[in-house]
Amino acid sequence: MLKKLSLPKIRKLGFKYQLIAPSIIILLIIGLFPLVYTLVVSFQGITMMDNDTSFHGIKNYVAIADDTRFWGALFHTVMFTVIALPIELFLGLFMAQLFIEKLPGRQIFIALLVLPVVVAPIVSGATWSLLLDNRFGPINQIINWFMGEELTLLWTINPTLVYPAIFLAEVWQWTPFMFLLLLAALSAVDKAQLEAAAIDGASYWMIFTKITLPSIWPVMAVAILIRGLDLFRLFDIVWALTKGGPGTMTETISTFTYVKGFQQFETSYTGAVALLIIIILSFVVIGALRKVELSR
Amino acid sequence: MADLRISGLHKYYGSMHAVKGIDLEIPSGEFTVLVGQSGCGKSTLLRTIAGLEEIDQGTVQISGQTVNDLAPKDRDIAMVFQNYALYPYMKIFDNIAFGLRARKVEKTEINKKVDHVSKMLSIDHLLDRYPRQLSGGQLQRVAIGRAIVREARIYLFDEPLSNLDAQLRDEMRGEIKRLHKELGKTMIYVTHDQIEAMTMADRIVLIRDGKIEQQGTPSDLYDRPKTKYVAGFLGSPSMNFITARVVTQGLGYGLILENTAAQLKMPENVSQRIGEYLGSNILIGIRPEHFSLNNESKPEDSGTTIEVSIDLVQPTGARTYVSFKIGQVTAVAELNPRDIRQNESNLTLNVDVNRCVLINKDTEFSI
Repeated sequence: MLKKLSLPKIRKLGFKYQLIAPSIIILLIIGLFPLVYTLVVSFQGITMMDNDTSFHGIKNYVAIADDTRFWGALFHTVMFTVIALPIELFLGLFMAQLFIEKLPGRQIFIALLVLPVVVAPIVSGATWSLLLDNRFGPINQIINWFMGEELTLLWTINPTLVYPAIFLAEVWQWTPFMFLLLLAALSAVDKAQLEAAAIDGASYWMIFTKITLPSIWPVMAVAILIRGLDLFRLFDIVWALTKGGPGTMTETISTFTYVKGFQQFETSYTGAVALLIIIILSFVVIGALRKVELSR
Repeated sequence: MADLRISGLHKYYGSMHAVKGIDLEIPSGEFTVLVGQSGCGKSTLLRTIAGLEEIDQGTVQISGQTVNDLAPKDRDIAMVFQNYALYPYMKIFDNIAFGLRARKVEKTEINKKVDHVSKMLSIDHLLDRYPRQLSGGQLQRVAIGRAIVREARIYLFDEPLSNLDAQLRDEMRGEIKRLHKELGKTMIYVTHDQIEAMTMADRIVLIRDGKIEQQGTPSDLYDRPKTKYVAGFLGSPSMNFITARVVTQGLGYGLILENTAAQLKMPENVSQRIGEYLGSNILIGIRPEHFSLNNESKPEDSGTTIEVSIDLVQPTGARTYVSFKIGQVTAVAELNPRDIRQNESNLTLNVDVNRCVLINKDTEFSI
């Protein structure tokens, strides 16, 4: 593309290319330039102390391979994704199945259920941090009532409680998103097919797996992809609740990159990390899209 | 024994009273057509039989057993849907086999049955395809195949042909009728198309506004309609209704058609019935085919002919439809095309007074 736009050729290009040129250029500046710049930076040695723009080869990438904190963060990220994603999916699907039936006040409940999606993640993280607070939080208070004794549950510090706390906030915020998409998909399933299957003598489970599931699958696959990518970039909720702690126990790729880039100012190293993540995710997305395409 | 007995059936959708007290008995092996305009409740009635709609009042019995609270799958019925409702993610074989698999039929038995049914409907070459690869007519055959592969007691058809084009519809109509003959099963067929009803039914149940208007054999309803609605609903083009005054004529009675000088002499058996209406207006219903051209006036025709001036001639090939005015009313006659001469503007028509329908103008019941 860039080659085609070199100056001598530009005059020969048709009017149509001249027309779309401005928007293409803007897209390239916004979309491609930062990527290229990151790539360039990742081969340099810029840190807070040293503005070293000389070529350092793959030094930063080699450093990543040895950085246990990076691999830890990647592991946490993958773990959050593979645990939270199925929970959100099944909860969302279950709720959508419930709300597909005609219930009194259905519209109001759906509107209420979808509210968490509207809240900014950093705000919901902060809210959960208050809810789970040991001294002021209502959650511990309620647990204490039920247990009948004073328990000190340090949700954001205790290593065994910190994961449940993050999952709680994450699932609370994003299950409604799954719910909404799957509800829309479920209501688009052809009623006559379900009726035909009911007359054919199919059990609820058979109808669900053979008719409902295949027809909502395209939407479900996209929902899984969107949420999967979101979870892989998980930042706000973790940052608000634990800042990656205790220690680096809940550090995700995003919080790790942020700490490296904007607290420790290891700029070139961060560039290498970011680029590596982009490459990993690109493979995941391409693979996933191919799966979705094939299922049609 | 009756396969299906419905008594006092009511169905409401919110405040909408869709089925208003239907009593119906359908004997074993009969092909019954529920016919009526869209929104008359015929599909709702079928769906309550299938168990897809709950019943608000009354009972539905299938072979003597009350099925009000039974799930559709436990009612021993099979159904063909208007939009086919095939399972799009399954091959045709799996579509047909679905009901058998759901009922845990043995695999070799399934293969045998699907094979038999698909041959019967000549869709055996399509078994490996998906529904989206089939044409409308083929889809309809598969939908029928899916229903008949299960040996149910009652087969329900919900306007199965309404998505097909005219030619295919004619073909499938014959096919379904042949199938009924072959299988000898009880079939209930819903349609808004009176031609489908007339051609296919052993018995027609004409439904109007949630109630049964009349039921009987096609010829019962066609030749002896109980109400003006039935008379007008069946037949295409539909029956001509003309207001007429009852007068004495000779020893019997005659009818003077409104706004004309034409007077029709009623035969003796009809005269007996209209005596009480002497001097008042009634409706006379004449089907288009009950007009015929009066080529040479014969004495026995006297008193049963009318003079008309032609409005419009519509040839269809086999028959020609001629529109004309009787008083203020536009009427249609179905005539032999060879009888109509070019540029003819006036005709003398015989009226087959023996086959006319006479209707009380106030109650709209036939006399």
